[in-house]
Amino acid sequence: MEKAKISAYQLFVLIVLFEVGSTLLIPLALDAKQDAWLTILLGMVGGFFLFLVNFRLFHYYPDILPTEYMQKIVGKSFGKFLAFLYILYFMYMAAKVVRDFGEMLITSTYPQTPLFIIIALFLVVIIYTIRKGIEVVARTGELLFLILLLLGISGTILIAISGIVDLKNLLPVLEEGIMPVLKTTFTQTLYIPFGEAVVFSMILPYLNQSKKGKRIGVYALGFSGLALTLVVAINISVLGVNLTARSQFPLLSTIQTIQIDEFLERLDVYFMLTLILGGFFKISLYFYVAVAGIANLFNFKEPSRLVYPMGIVILILSITIASNYAEHISEGTRFISLRIFLPFQVIIPVSLLIIAFFKHRKKRGK
Amino acid sequence: MPPFFKYKKQKVHTDQSKDTQDSANHHVPEPIESSLSANLDSIKQKTGHSSDIIVRTIITGNTSLHKASVVYVAGLVDTQAINEFLIEPLQTNHDLLEKLYQQDGLDKVTKEFITLGSVHPVTNWDELFLSLMSGDTIILIDGSNKAWSASSKGGERRSIQEPSTQVSVRGSKESFTESIGTNIAMVRRIINNPDLWIETMKIGKVTRTDVSIMYINGIAKTEVVDEVRKRLKRINIDSILESGYIEQLIEDQTITPFPTIFTTERPDITAGNLLEGRVAIFVNGSPDALLAPALFIGFFQAVEDYYSRYDIATATRFIRVLAFFISLIGPAAYIAITTFHQEMIPTQLLIIVAAQRDSVPFPAFVEAIIMEIAFEILREAGIRMPKVIGSTISIVGALVIGQGAIQAGIVSPATVIVVAITAIANFATPSYTVAISARLIRFLFMIIAAVFGFYGIILGFIMLLVHLVSLRSFGVPYMTPLAPFIPKNLGDTIIRTPLWAEKIRPRLISSTDNPVRAGEDQKPAPPQKRGMKKKNTR
Repeated sequence: MEKAKISAYQLFVLIVLFEVGSTLLIPLALDAKQDAWLTILLGMVGGFFLFLVNFRLFHYYPDILPTEYMQKIVGKSFGKFLAFLYILYFMYMAAKVVRDFGEMLITSTYPQTPLFIIIALFLVVIIYTIRKGIEVVARTGELLFLILLLLGISGTILIAISGIVDLKNLLPVLEEGIMPVLKTTFTQTLYIPFGEAVVFSMILPYLNQSKKGKRIGVYALGFSGLALTLVVAINISVLGVNLTARSQFPLLSTIQTIQIDEFLERLDVYFMLTLILGGFFKISLYFYVAVAGIANLFNFKEPSRLVYPMGIVILILSITIASNYAEHISEGTRFISLRIFLPFQVIIPVSLLIIAFFKHRKKRGK
Repeated sequence: MPPFFKYKKQKVHTDQSKDTQDSANHHVPEPIESSLSANLDSIKQKTGHSSDIIVRTIITGNTSLHKASVVYVAGLVDTQAINEFLIEPLQTNHDLLEKLYQQDGLDKVTKEFITLGSVHPVTNWDELFLSLMSGDTIILIDGSNKAWSASSKGGERRSIQEPSTQVSVRGSKESFTESIGTNIAMVRRIINNPDLWIETMKIGKVTRTDVSIMYINGIAKTEVVDEVRKRLKRINIDSILESGYIEQLIEDQTITPFPTIFTTERPDITAGNLLEGRVAIFVNGSPDALLAPALFIGFFQAVEDYYSRYDIATATRFIRVLAFFISLIGPAAYIAITTFHQEMIPTQLLIIVAAQRDSVPFPAFVEAIIMEIAFEILREAGIRMPKVIGSTISIVGALVIGQGAIQAGIVSPATVIVVAITAIANFATPSYTVAISARLIRFLFMIIAAVFGFYGIILGFIMLLVHLVSLRSFGVPYMTPLAPFIPKNLGDTIIRTPLWAEKIRPRLISSTDNPVRAGEDQKPAPPQKRGMKKKNTR
């Protein structure tokens, strides 16, 4: 484990950036139509629960990484196997988000640039960052969080004064009853973005005030949940359900409709800035925990040297993960949520917690 | 599990072992002999009979004649003081030297007769030459193996002048000189407090330059002071010619375009920084004091911000930060917009720019690079050129680069405007050292903008931020108080809050025992009886 500490505020910032990051930009929970915002709120509540499960585990083993406490909970060899699976999951997610991100950039702004080049350049910046350690990632987060906040507030004001918001688009609430909302919650929003916070079980041991971790995590998830709800609600009320659902990047379409006095228009750079800053943190954190996990599992003395080879692996993985954008999207939305997210984000942490709970009770009983 | 950056620690270990080796074979200095002629001979021999070493031998005495010699270096000393206060008493008081041979005689003589400032005994040659070469006068007495060194520093020096690089409209008009004593005194005159502590050491094997560190005891962090002292003691180099030498030898990180130590030529800036808990380093012969630990935002704080009112100061500081951004990514944004993102500018403007660029043979990137390089050459030439031909360069610059290049159709007017704005914005940064780094990084941004447009600029910007955030100055993160975020210290960053609202000193820089800088209730208010408001108390 790297000898570094991050403050409670830094953890807050990292969680918010990670949760909001790329999720802001993709069409989220639109199976629930105009009730999408409701599914996000419900997903947030589920996210609280999953975070508390991870926090409880951290509470049992405060000084070691999950890759290590898994071995203590389920035994050495099976624990190692489980930890390895998690590392693969983190690497896969890093590659997936990079791919998402590259595809988004190509569709929105750079139709003629090769995907490989876009992704490679981005990974160079991320490798540079990861090599400097978690402290630098956290501090960069603090700075960029301010910038994103500024962007968000000014963007909301611009949308509000340009008079394109039509709240009628959000009605009627619960048109087809609660079932579609619940279904979307449990197939989508619970996992993306809230269940993804399982990454932070690898970051929690770096926290300098571990007592505050619980509150900070819940606040951060709540903050990002509300921000996402607001953005989705704005998207739907500006574009209408149909347009939002058909649009590849609802936020981009919303921003493109901003037009104030024929002067302030074409604010695409807003979208690009949000896209890159958000993606940067999501990928950096996935990448970082993968590196930290491998270093921990295989006892590497200098984890920073792992960053280059793993960067290349992620680069190649992200290119070969799917042969085209359509395949990538359908994999991302249909295939992985129940087959990968459910076990890694819900089943394994919950069962680990149950075993750890009984182990600790047995110890205390003695 | 081992730490992330273990190899860095190993480096530190090797340095330490070297240090101990050096101190092990430190030589033992030779003592002074008791024969005067032998001593004078060896002085002459060691200085190679240099003509500026003046030796005056005095023979006095009532009962028996005694010999004494006064040795000094011409030009380094205050000759008048030596004549009046040293040689005259020695010659007129005939029993003086006799007293010297009595017990405790030396003490008595220095107390009663030598009227020069401080006098202290010297027993070996190393000490003798050190004080002789730094402008002290040596008194050697026949038959004694002790010499006396009387401080008589003087000679011709530049007088105190107005600051030339850190100019301000309001505030004191004096700047440091090349003399370390004068510089320290100038700060003392501002901070009349015994807690202003100064430590002096000699650095440089050949030059033996005086280097002083200055801090306010109780406000400066002891760890930082210790660290500064440790890093200065580590220096093992033949010469220190300017404070820049020290800066390069004690900074935290060497591979960065950004300065991690602040330099100033103004005593009031030095005093202000000392009061925030920083440590000042003075080097003899250099009119620039070093201040550490430095923060990035500190390079945007001009001294006038504190003298003028806070609203004005905030506005001007905001302009400065904006100017820094422009000087960093101005040309890069121009290249990105004209090459990749034409849709981002209003149609009318786009038509104008496109019409101008129609006849230009180069892509926007080549155009901008040509103009930027031309401007950098002009600027570099402007600094080092003799003043008498200064007007030539402005004519050449304005006519050839501006008018000529456009008329010849080599560059478009829009490019010239962008380059000119960037250049001017670069001068708006109060610190020259950080302005230079912006100049350098600007070219990287231009290249990446030419290849990737705004995507490249944003990624470059993130990388720049990551780099800035990873820097440390004497252990303090460079981007404090923005990252790590310290809300209480935000009052002196991009905004400047009123003086009465800034109650505490910067947290990571000054000592935590004594953080309060202003008392409660400092906000000025009109007298109650004359005020328009009704009193709340009734």
